[in-house]
Amino acid sequence: MEKSKKIVLQTKEVTKEYKMGGVVVKALQGVSLSIHDGEFVAIIGPSGSGKSTLMHIIGCLDIPTSGEVLLDGHQVGKMNERSLAEIRNKKIGFVFQSFNLLPKTSAIENVALPLLYNGTSEEDSQRLAKEALSMVGLGERLDHHPNQLSGGQQQRVAIARALVTNPTIILGDEPTGNLDSKSGKEVMEIFHSLHHQGKTIVLITHDPKVAQQAERSIWLQDGQIKKV
Amino acid sequence: MTFKKLLKIAWKSVRANKSRSLLTTLGVIIGVASVIILVAVGSGLKDFITSEMQDMGSNLVMVMPGDIDLKKVGTGGGGGGVMSSGLAAMQSSKIKYEYLNDIQQVVPQVKDIVGLVMGSATTSYQNKLLSSQIFGTTENYSEMRKYNFTLGGFFNQADVSSGRKVAVIGHKVAEDLFSNSPVVIGEKIKVGDYRYTVVGVIEEKGGQGTMTPDDKIYIPITVAQRQFGQDNIGLILMEANSPEDVPLVLNSTEDILKRKLKDDEFTVLDQKEILSTVSGILNTLTVALGGIAAISLIVGGIGIMNIMLVSVTERTQEIGLRKALGAKPEVILTQFLIEAVVLSIGGGILGVLLGGGGALFLGRFMPTTITLWSVILAFAVSAAIGIIFGVAPARKASQLSPIEALRHE
Repeated sequence: MEKSKKIVLQTKEVTKEYKMGGVVVKALQGVSLSIHDGEFVAIIGPSGSGKSTLMHIIGCLDIPTSGEVLLDGHQVGKMNERSLAEIRNKKIGFVFQSFNLLPKTSAIENVALPLLYNGTSEEDSQRLAKEALSMVGLGERLDHHPNQLSGGQQQRVAIARALVTNPTIILGDEPTGNLDSKSGKEVMEIFHSLHHQGKTIVLITHDPKVAQQAERSIWLQDGQIKKV
Repeated sequence: MTFKKLLKIAWKSVRANKSRSLLTTLGVIIGVASVIILVAVGSGLKDFITSEMQDMGSNLVMVMPGDIDLKKVGTGGGGGGVMSSGLAAMQSSKIKYEYLNDIQQVVPQVKDIVGLVMGSATTSYQNKLLSSQIFGTTENYSEMRKYNFTLGGFFNQADVSSGRKVAVIGHKVAEDLFSNSPVVIGEKIKVGDYRYTVVGVIEEKGGQGTMTPDDKIYIPITVAQRQFGQDNIGLILMEANSPEDVPLVLNSTEDILKRKLKDDEFTVLDQKEILSTVSGILNTLTVALGGIAAISLIVGGIGIMNIMLVSVTERTQEIGLRKALGAKPEVILTQFLIEAVVLSIGGGILGVLLGGGGALFLGRFMPTTITLWSVILAFAVSAAIGIIFGVAPARKASQLSPIEALRHE
């Protein structure tokens, strides 16, 4: 890992406050971090540490109350909903804990879903989705529906969906949380192989065993970074 | 994000929930079908009565008892009331039999003139019973209506003037009473309390209503007056020499009758006026029927809105996912709007098929006319309903926060 590589994500003194039942909750209290191109980083913390809130802000699903977020040179901290949707489509590949595949929809169509929202032609979408599924080892199961696939295979389809737009960051939110240990291991292996191909990967987890497999871990507690 | 792709997504989602989609559109299907069927029944009735009036010929002039205000009727409202008051007026008619002669002598443009006394009575022959319409009329009625006879002929002037109890029966009456036996002439049938000798059977004309002779019994008008206890006659029908003579006949008849009767005791009408009156009433009826059916279309639209709102809640996670993957709010809005429109247009198409089929089926029992405008209107309204009632659920979907939506279980 060469430190000279460019920074793809940077947060500066990011805070996030919620109102819950009239009480202001400070979910993040000044988080500053940088992630370089090609890094494999785990953000780890117990529940209530603010890691989900941080995931939402890194994933451009939410904007911070104060502070700056720079994603691949774009100031995303103050964007409106439409611009955020565009940035998410281009720069972020999400992998969720519960896979979030569309039911009654084939693997290839699930993978091609993000391409639907950026004007990719039908032919290109099919080709890119096929390539992405091959990358996760599911090149033979293009037409399977989620209910015909195991949990590990479903999560691999979800990873293919995250890859298909060639995003700046692949953002995993407890990607092994719903899997048995064998499937979890398979999925982690895919993340490793993607990392070797130069992808930037950020995993949010509460599981130290998952975090250990990353190049670098950022520990979060009470809305602040405890150690890097 | 092309429209075609959105249409594909919407179609997939409709097909993925087949039974729910069908139930959702049921309201629209029934609404569209009932608009088409009810309008077909209304228009069918209008066409039927109009053609019946045209059957009577364009040279027709008619004198009816009582005061019939055509303008009031023509604009709709109270049409039925005027019709029934017309029938009541026939019972208390002040028009006298002698007027036929008076008119014929003064107005040379009258080719033919007949008087009518109408009623209904139970008719019987041996052990067969029948309730039939009785037309008391003059000997020239058959000529005016151009009837042919399978047996015998119409009664003559002597029968009318001396009040002989003779009857001419329609094809269906002959069938029902005599089972088409050829030995009908000279047989005695009982109409009410009187016995009549059958002198003729009119050839089958087909059709239904007042103008077909098939189910009628014709007796001399003088006898009918006694039979129904009327001193006067219910109706005068006149045929002018040519259509150009119609206004003259109309005016001359009015002048003659004015000297004998009060203004509100008679009305002289020609075919044009009768037609416009009848179509005025029936247009109102058709619109009213269509309007009632249109309400069910709106109810159908509310059904779509209801299910779409449920569908948005049910698919919160899907919406969250689509948004996380880069779908902008307006794309989600369009997706759900198209889905609602696909449902309502699908319902509209099924409704048109069902309504068309239903109207054709009903056409075997009553006059129906499927009108293009009702099909187009019902279809357009169902599409519009999809848009109008689809907006609220689609807006709700587009405004969901992706974080909340993804968290939704």
